[in-house]
Amino acid sequence: MPDIHVIIRTADQTRKAEVTLDSSNTGADIIQASVDNWTLPTDTDYSLVNTTSGKTLTPNSQLGDSGIKDGDILEVQPVLVAG
Amino acid sequence: MNSDRYQRHSLIDWFSQEAVKASKFAIVGCGAVGNEVAKNLALLGVGYIDLYDFDSIEIHNLTRSVLFRGKDIGGFKAEVAAERIKELDPNISVSAFVGDFWEEMSLEKAASYSCIICCVDNFEARIRLNQICLITKTNLINTGIDSRFCQVEVFPFKASDCIACYECNLPNSAYERMQQRYSCGWLKKISFIEKKIPTTIVTSSLTGALAASNALEMLKEVEVAASKRILVDSFSGKSTVSIIEESCTCPGCSSLSGNVSVLKGAALIQGVFNLPSGCSDDYVITSDPILISTRCTNCNPLLESATIVFDKASKYDSSINICTQCGQESVEVVIKDSFSLSDLEKLFQGREFPCKYVTLNASNQILVIELER
Repeated sequence: MPDIHVIIRTADQTRKAEVTLDSSNTGADIIQASVDNWTLPTDTDYSLVNTTSGKTLTPNSQLGDSGIKDGDILEVQPVLVAG
Repeated sequence: MNSDRYQRHSLIDWFSQEAVKASKFAIVGCGAVGNEVAKNLALLGVGYIDLYDFDSIEIHNLTRSVLFRGKDIGGFKAEVAAERIKELDPNISVSAFVGDFWEEMSLEKAASYSCIICCVDNFEARIRLNQICLITKTNLINTGIDSRFCQVEVFPFKASDCIACYECNLPNSAYERMQQRYSCGWLKKISFIEKKIPTTIVTSSLTGALAASNALEMLKEVEVAASKRILVDSFSGKSTVSIIEESCTCPGCSSLSGNVSVLKGAALIQGVFNLPSGCSDDYVITSDPILISTRCTNCNPLLESATIVFDKASKYDSSINICTQCGQESVEVVIKDSFSLSDLEKLFQGREFPCKYVTLNASNQILVIELER
């Protein structure tokens, strides 16, 4: 599986990392890794947005199938539930 | 309509007061964001607003709810908000629906709205409202807040069949979180404590303004090709606008793609379930999980001794698992939301479907039958 080099950051931009990912990784994998490595609050749900293309990533689709390219910035955004 | 009232609006070249006046909105959830959306739409001079909320006002609501006062504590949110909206602009036709929107809002009524604005505080209500909007092709705006971020999602279902819905990008963890509220199947846990998310008027007012702005945009009937999400960081002022990608495996919209027809039918299961020609003995999907039967494995070991219930599972909690005779947690429950037509005819003849609607496939089209009682 080819590697993809991307930047991952949180929505508040306090966390940022340049990473190399396998193109078979899914959006859900990246979110889980971000929550684990950055100890993000576990009582919140997250969604992934490619800020370079301006499109969200569906949770179960693979990076390779989502048109993610080297250099893209992926943002881990909270899914807000209060009203 | 008193034109002097809207004189400033008339100076805006893109603003059509006539179009705004002719519009009809539903606001589901009259909490912090619902207050802001209702206030904004009222001041803009929309024609009709229907407010839906089952809840009553508590003292802690007063820090985030522009329409509520101390004297309103204990009153129903929808009713009090409706009164205040009338004070803001008596020209508006406002209705309050105190109760669960799932029960209160018929599919026909949902289809009559220019847009439904979702201001609720949980995933389940959002998913249900998304279903109603998908079926009726009604525009939906979803809102969400925390103490820092504001989120507005726009789903122009009226414009296109092929756009993402609320569930297309909902993370798997949201479904897992929803399931934590239930014990087995769809029985509510007796002692589940809902987590309270802190918010302020800052995020609710920003979100309410963005939601109202996008609702106005929808009235212009400009061709919209995609659903979108706006996320604003209220601390830094930074915002992200992203196109919401459609998921072909979405549990919300993938089963509703194609030709959807909405009909009305009797809830009573009778005869051969009067289906249009072309329907095979296929499965009927109910809009709500149904508690089929209960049986204590100690007192009634035989499967045939199960007591048929056939009622909405959401009406029961996990206390039903405790047998009233032996006192043990030994009651097995069967919950289903999918029935073959032949099973309905054989096992549930003469009973009423305890749900909002049923869905079935017939001759390359999806039939959604709203049940009348």
